[in-house]
Amino acid sequence: MKHVNISPPSTVQTPAVMLRSTVINPRQPVGLQELAALAAVAHSSLGPDKRYKFIQDDTSGESALVCSCFRIFENLELSSAVAQLVHETVQAQQKVYNTGSGCLLFLAGAWSRAALECVHRGISVSRIISGMSDGFDICVDVLRKCSISTDGLGAVKPYSCTTTSHGLGLQVSKEPITEDSRASLHLRGTTSVGHKTLNPSGHRKIKLSRHFCQPDSKNVSTAPQPHQVFNVAHIAEGLSHGCVRAMNLVVEAVKLHQDVSCSTFDVTKVVTCVVPGLPEERACVLPGCIVLLSDEQASVAHHLKDQPLKVALINGDLSHTFRHLGFSRPAGVQHVSEQLALGSDEEEVWTVKVVALLLNLEVNLILVSGLASEKVIQHCCRRRVLVVDKVKASILKAFADATAGVPVTYATQLTKHCVGTGVKVEIRRDLGGGSERKSSTAVNISTGGNSGLFTVILTSCVRGKLQALEDQFWACAYRLHHALKDRAVLPGAGATEMLCVHHLRQRAVTAYSTQESSAGGAADLDRGVVLHLMADGLIDYISTVMVNTGRVSKVRARTVVSQQLQEHDGHVDIAAKLSQLMLEGENEDSDSKSSEMDVYDNVSVKQEAWRKALDLLFLVLQTDAEVITGVDQATGAQENLMML
Amino acid sequence: MSRLVKKSPSLCVDLPLDNTDVCNKLRLLRQLMTSCYGPTGKLKLVHNNIGGHVVTTSTSSVLLAAISSSQPLVNLIKTSVLNHVSRFSDCGLFAACLCLDLIEQAKQSGLRGNVCIGLNRHFLAVCVSYLQREDCCCKVKLDFCSSHNLIALARSVISSKPACLLTEQETLHISKLAVQAFLLTLPCDKPGTVSLGQTVTICVEGHSVLNSAVFPGLLVDVTGVLCVNKSDNLSSHRMLLFSASLAGDIPELGEGIIEVSSGVDTDARILDQLLDLGKQAVEDDVKLFVCQKVIHPVLQHYLRSRGVIVIERLGITLMEPLILLTGAHPVATLHTSLQPKAYGKVRDLSIRQFGSKTLLHLLAHGESAICTMVLCHRNETMLSELKLVCQKTEHVLRLTLREPYALFGGGCTETHLAAYVRHKCTDRVTESAAVLGCSESEYLLGMDRFCSSLESVAKSLEHNGGNSLIDLTHAHNWTVHADVMNRCVEGSLGFCGCGLVEGGSSKKWTYLNTKYAEFSPAALTTDSPVQPRVLDSFTAKLNALQVAVETANLALDVRYIIKDVLDLARF
Repeated sequence: MKHVNISPPSTVQTPAVMLRSTVINPRQPVGLQELAALAAVAHSSLGPDKRYKFIQDDTSGESALVCSCFRIFENLELSSAVAQLVHETVQAQQKVYNTGSGCLLFLAGAWSRAALECVHRGISVSRIISGMSDGFDICVDVLRKCSISTDGLGAVKPYSCTTTSHGLGLQVSKEPITEDSRASLHLRGTTSVGHKTLNPSGHRKIKLSRHFCQPDSKNVSTAPQPHQVFNVAHIAEGLSHGCVRAMNLVVEAVKLHQDVSCSTFDVTKVVTCVVPGLPEERACVLPGCIVLLSDEQASVAHHLKDQPLKVALINGDLSHTFRHLGFSRPAGVQHVSEQLALGSDEEEVWTVKVVALLLNLEVNLILVSGLASEKVIQHCCRRRVLVVDKVKASILKAFADATAGVPVTYATQLTKHCVGTGVKVEIRRDLGGGSERKSSTAVNISTGGNSGLFTVILTSCVRGKLQALEDQFWACAYRLHHALKDRAVLPGAGATEMLCVHHLRQRAVTAYSTQESSAGGAADLDRGVVLHLMADGLIDYISTVMVNTGRVSKVRARTVVSQQLQEHDGHVDIAAKLSQLMLEGENEDSDSKSSEMDVYDNVSVKQEAWRKALDLLFLVLQTDAEVITGVDQATGAQENLMML
Repeated sequence: MSRLVKKSPSLCVDLPLDNTDVCNKLRLLRQLMTSCYGPTGKLKLVHNNIGGHVVTTSTSSVLLAAISSSQPLVNLIKTSVLNHVSRFSDCGLFAACLCLDLIEQAKQSGLRGNVCIGLNRHFLAVCVSYLQREDCCCKVKLDFCSSHNLIALARSVISSKPACLLTEQETLHISKLAVQAFLLTLPCDKPGTVSLGQTVTICVEGHSVLNSAVFPGLLVDVTGVLCVNKSDNLSSHRMLLFSASLAGDIPELGEGIIEVSSGVDTDARILDQLLDLGKQAVEDDVKLFVCQKVIHPVLQHYLRSRGVIVIERLGITLMEPLILLTGAHPVATLHTSLQPKAYGKVRDLSIRQFGSKTLLHLLAHGESAICTMVLCHRNETMLSELKLVCQKTEHVLRLTLREPYALFGGGCTETHLAAYVRHKCTDRVTESAAVLGCSESEYLLGMDRFCSSLESVAKSLEHNGGNSLIDLTHAHNWTVHADVMNRCVEGSLGFCGCGLVEGGSSKKWTYLNTKYAEFSPAALTTDSPVQPRVLDSFTAKLNALQVAVETANLALDVRYIIKDVLDLARF
């Protein structure tokens, strides 16, 4: 663990234009410098070896342990406009993809250094932008060309020649493909290789292609659709990016998931349940929705276990004071009473009414998306009705779908039609959280196997690590989710970047030569410079990832990269060498297989991260001033702002 | 406890334009405005001092609205530009740049204040009357039979905002959509007074700009709430629209107090009333139930279980377009039974998916001029600028209905006007000077200042260190890149700013803001097949010109600024 004290980047000077004040800063690249400085935060979060960082608040003494660049920004106090823009961009990436923000930030920094260099060389902003846009188009083209269809993946090495895997047009159809049509696609695509018939038990007469002729026996035995799982496990391994343990959980989850549907991985039906106090090896995946309950509730669960239950779904809080969003309580209402109110407690009245209704409907279990009031929980416990609150909305929906229940906002709204059936409760003694503060019991709520819901139990003896473990799990889950959604992956471990570098440089050379030959003039020369510097940014990325594995120095990494670039004219097979270099360090703790492991990246995630990085850079590059509103005269003068 | 504070004497600043502090602030404002001007203008990050949301923009309406100054002159200029923008949408930066430049030029010229004001007014009149003449050589008549010029006009507006970060292709796509939306809001064949329809804009973040689209009718965001059974696609559905809240709460009481006797459950009573409304709606065969505000979940549940599509929280902005589209009369109370004439009609309900957003597409039963523009962009910052620009474009296009002209863009109108004024006024210096009560040299000086202000505005379109030139035939504006050597300037000039005139050896150029012998700017041969690529709104620019000169004159006319200094003394 590394102790890093991150204070707002120190190399940055506050630029300035201000309300009440407005400043124009003549030295425009300040924004770019600031961006580059902020991006430095991302350096250590690249690559398979993630380092933890402490972020400490000097005033309160509180600190946070973070492992991803998204969390770093969440924990920083950002006052400058550029930092705020960076944060917004990282959040947007995180919201949709749940991964890739480190890559985004690093490249935003690397390319802003490239842009800075361009500015120093006197290239105009509009030329930098058009050059970099061209560069991005080149990269997108490379990404498209070198993406590998997931349908062809998972083959054992000798057969997996990269040239065949994409030339085959395997990833055409966008509609969900049925098993049969999928198999036929494989057939069409691989006729030249010859087929073998697998699946000797043969409920289905499908000829499978070369990709599945050497199934990993362990996987086949456990899974109903051998080729699918084999595929997924292989892809997942390549997408683990160093989080092997987290990815293993994802693969387990997918295996469970595959009973229900295949070829996609529905992340909305995954729940994570964090159990502190258990060693990390205890992490596992279980079908159903697992929640931690107090002892009192656990005893109710104990009574209910192993019988089919009726479930009510509440979308909101379960309490008498709760009102739906948008309901306003009028201020001017007075309650007038003719006789003395004899202790009629409103909450009591409401609770009794609700419990009676629930008993009447024979409900044994209530899932609440908001909070349930203590009183209701107690009342329900006494009548052996289990109340579970803080259930994720997507989980509530999954239960609604699986049980034919209808979520309602108020418990009083419940009718026979709204009550779902067929839920089971099971107590998992093995997962009892041994937390010192309160004991808790893990209870699995499931719907008889058809809901597709499953829970990932994450454990750690170190409480502070749980957040990071959870983040890693979700990052892996989303990586696999996107890979299956894209139906394609990219060669990882820097191979894609190397190809991009190669193409960018090639194009730069073309630009130089047209500049010399024709009357194209300075514009072409500038374009060449921009493309070249952009390629340097990517080299910086690759070598940083290599450095982060801890085995090579920055200088050595750069040498290796440039050697590789010279030796090969940008073929994918450089990937193999590079990935071996990067993974050298991991050989010791994993079996020998990993030395020849394929590493993959996501297509859409990478493309979107690069585009966001460029968008961010372009905005900052075109900015020459900040307008700060609400600055008072005194601070304005102090910070050397120009007041308007 | 209140304390009596002795009022300090007010502070009076004499001749504010001679005050260096005031001048510095005006210069700062000018830099701020000119640096934003044009398609390659620089962006500004607008945020507050405690690290709130950052807006990236170069749009005058956003930028000026964020600025507040302790200097009344700055606020005067700001307010008049904002006023102009609120009425005409476009040319705000032009007005601000010209106005501030005129003030600065007037100060430098050393002309007496009232002489300067009179001269400015005189030259403005020359410009305005020229622009309104039929034979004015820097405007084109818009031909509504072809979309070419309309798209060029839309495109000029859209490409002038670099914070949208659009590529050429994307700019063209959005320009076409803007024109399409504009055409959809024109009602066809309606007798009597024609009233224009409306364009509703919906923003979808995280998608490529090229996915943006325009639809006739109205799209309503129903993400996460909808389950439409697509089975019944009747030709027409009855719909009901509430403007009153159906949340089931007691409406705002104001100052009054309601006394409720205990044992009465007001919430339940109101809910009963709501359910009665719901029942009546179901009986009357309402298929679409819309409320501007919140609908009680129990009522929603009831209606949905009866197969009614329920939309709540429509928002005030969509109310008017929905009323126009459906002919419904919004119900403002829940205390009466529903009147038959309150119901509206829609045709063809369908669902459209844009990224994470689910939109319900409503088409008008009869004819309507409502359309919806779905704008997509990769991130929020760029999307909000794009939305602004599209609304501005719509407005600019509408202005062409009143005056179907457009001016040459790219700075060509400014340089052309300057050349025209120089030529026209040099002819009659003596008479004009006599009428205005100034000397001939004052007149010539004033003319030179006025024209070079116009030229400065054209010049500030260039932000990459390039040079601006004017040709001595048509007086259009040209730019050359900074790295072009002096001697090969002629060879490297492609087209002028508006794209109408092509460079060639027969023409002569001179750098802008250098002296050139006055000449009569020639019209282009009318049969030329070349169409201008950059056009500016005629109406907006004409008004901006007037606003700029009038505001500058007012600022030049200010003799004293009187300030109450109480606040300053205390802080």
